[in-house]
Amino acid sequence: MAEIYKKETQLKDYSKDVLLDFYRTMVKIRKFDEHLIRLMQEGKVSGFYHSGIGSEGLSAGSIRNVLRDEDYIYYNHRGCNQKIAKGVPLSKIYGDFLGTTEGTTRGLGAGIVHSADPSRGVLGQAGTIGSQLGIGIGTAYASKFKGTDQVTVIYFGDGAASREMLHGSLNWAGLYNLPVIYICENNEYAISCHVSETHAVKEHIADWAYGYGISNCVVDGNDVLLMHEATKEAVERAKRGEGPTFIEAQTFRHRGHFEGDPYDYVDGELLKDWKENKDPIRNFVSRMLLDKIAEKQELKTIDQEVEQEILEAIEKAESAPQPEAGRIYEGLFA
Amino acid sequence: MRTINMRTALLEALNEEMERDETTLVFGEDVGKFGGINKVTEGLYEKYGNRVFDTPIAEPTIVAAAVGMAITGNARPVPELQFGDFAGIAFDEIFNKMGKWRFMHGGQMEMPITLRLPVGIAGGAGPEHSQSPQALFMHGPGLQIVIPSTPYDAKGLLKTAIRDNNAVLFFEHKLLYDMKGEVPEEEYLIPFGKADIKREGSDVTVIATALQVHTALEAAEELAADGTEVEVVDPRTLAPLDMETILSSVRKTGRVLIVHEESKTGGSGAEIAAQIQEEALFDLAAPIRRIGSPDVPIAQNIYLEQFYRPSKEQIVQAVNELMEY
Repeated sequence: MAEIYKKETQLKDYSKDVLLDFYRTMVKIRKFDEHLIRLMQEGKVSGFYHSGIGSEGLSAGSIRNVLRDEDYIYYNHRGCNQKIAKGVPLSKIYGDFLGTTEGTTRGLGAGIVHSADPSRGVLGQAGTIGSQLGIGIGTAYASKFKGTDQVTVIYFGDGAASREMLHGSLNWAGLYNLPVIYICENNEYAISCHVSETHAVKEHIADWAYGYGISNCVVDGNDVLLMHEATKEAVERAKRGEGPTFIEAQTFRHRGHFEGDPYDYVDGELLKDWKENKDPIRNFVSRMLLDKIAEKQELKTIDQEVEQEILEAIEKAESAPQPEAGRIYEGLFA
Repeated sequence: MRTINMRTALLEALNEEMERDETTLVFGEDVGKFGGINKVTEGLYEKYGNRVFDTPIAEPTIVAAAVGMAITGNARPVPELQFGDFAGIAFDEIFNKMGKWRFMHGGQMEMPITLRLPVGIAGGAGPEHSQSPQALFMHGPGLQIVIPSTPYDAKGLLKTAIRDNNAVLFFEHKLLYDMKGEVPEEEYLIPFGKADIKREGSDVTVIATALQVHTALEAAEELAADGTEVEVVDPRTLAPLDMETILSSVRKTGRVLIVHEESKTGGSGAEIAAQIQEEALFDLAAPIRRIGSPDVPIAQNIYLEQFYRPSKEQIVQAVNELMEY
């Protein structure tokens, strides 16, 4: 069955630029999230928000320095992590949340789902969880048909993995040998239900991929470099025309499913362990300091730069106007 | 002019459009080597190779994949669901994804999909292989709905559908595949939102779709012998709906009968009737009448089937009743 992805990663095998890029991206994701929650608390953002705090390494590692603008992603329900890593401008993501014309939807508004940036391969996401599993293979099919080396990465949670569409999707991916990478962000809980209560698997969700003849592995999603290595192998496999890969990335969310979720279905000690001992950013910082890649002050400067960038993005998003009422009649048809 | 059946007309449209745009892809269950269970795609696989492919039996995946192909701008998918009833299996993908993806992502992508859906009561196929579900999708924004009644219309509308950069649901009545009609050799397109007056008349407007256009024309012949002149209007596309042509006919006759094989309640006739009364109530001499199939599931028994399909006799009777006002 699915094997645990193991590889000895050494910081010295990466350039400092790449390492700091991973760091900056993870910090950007976390600070974006913290500020968004603040905006919600201030009553400026409506709707649901699914915080991605605690899983930044998974998205940064699988996107930064491995995917190009022309590679496609379908993000998941904690998908701001992936959109930010793919380079969607922060002001546009905030603009969607705030419903201003700065958003990617030019004022229609979007939560985590429905923002899109085709110029960066971000083709949107469905409100119905897991629907991207079917849409993504169509995108991968189109790349294969056109003969490009573009890959499509489909992110989805353990909860979405119980959607029937996963099996229709895996069957097509295996059958047509599509350049697609499944990244199952397994944070163990679909709202309140533990994965063991909802999935019939031998041991891992990735075990299912075996039945479809699809390469697969289980990886520590909170180790940004390990995540990067696993994804890089999958991307290279897809580009060689050797078809799909299923990566189950293990992580845990620091907050509830949605803001306001009491999150009392998770054992307090377990959550504390994830926060204190398995935090992707904290652990990466420790490694960089230990290997003397960067000084504390250098990282602090990055933190400040990111903070500033986010405040400016929010300012830009907030100062843009709300759309005219007529906006709802635009764009239904091409 | 030459005469061909609707199956051949549709196949010609597919052939011409695949020839014209090499990103056009045809796929679905058994549409490849087998040529489709209705033989509408026969010969395309031999001619176009990997641009025509068989898929697993997985309707949600077929439609979802079409969406994922279309939004890249690199493909023009023309998928087929073996029976229009199976739209139910892929409902979310059609209703929410095909129809709304472009809008809900701010209009940033296009949706050049033509989903072909064979519908209608034919051959004792039973409750889940005989339905006409087109009205369900009139309620869903972002979907264009085509329902041709003749080989000529079928060909011209399918070519328009494939070239269009928006989602199209293309409904084909199975009993019409073998029906013949005049189709010119030279190329032509038929625009969406343009109803066709299949027969002119001054007494009663009969609005009919698909097979029922032909039933209405037969009834009109019979009624004409008794001195009642029926105008038969075929909307051809339910979305967009050509209310201009419909209202102009209604204002002329003052009497309206809407006939379709869809079940009566919530059928497309309900919407058409509502729009007519909103715009032309005081031009009416009589209440708007509707004939649809009964509001019960379609029985498998081929003998019982005839009692679902609107008949010439029902139309004649309804028209005569309208003439009493």
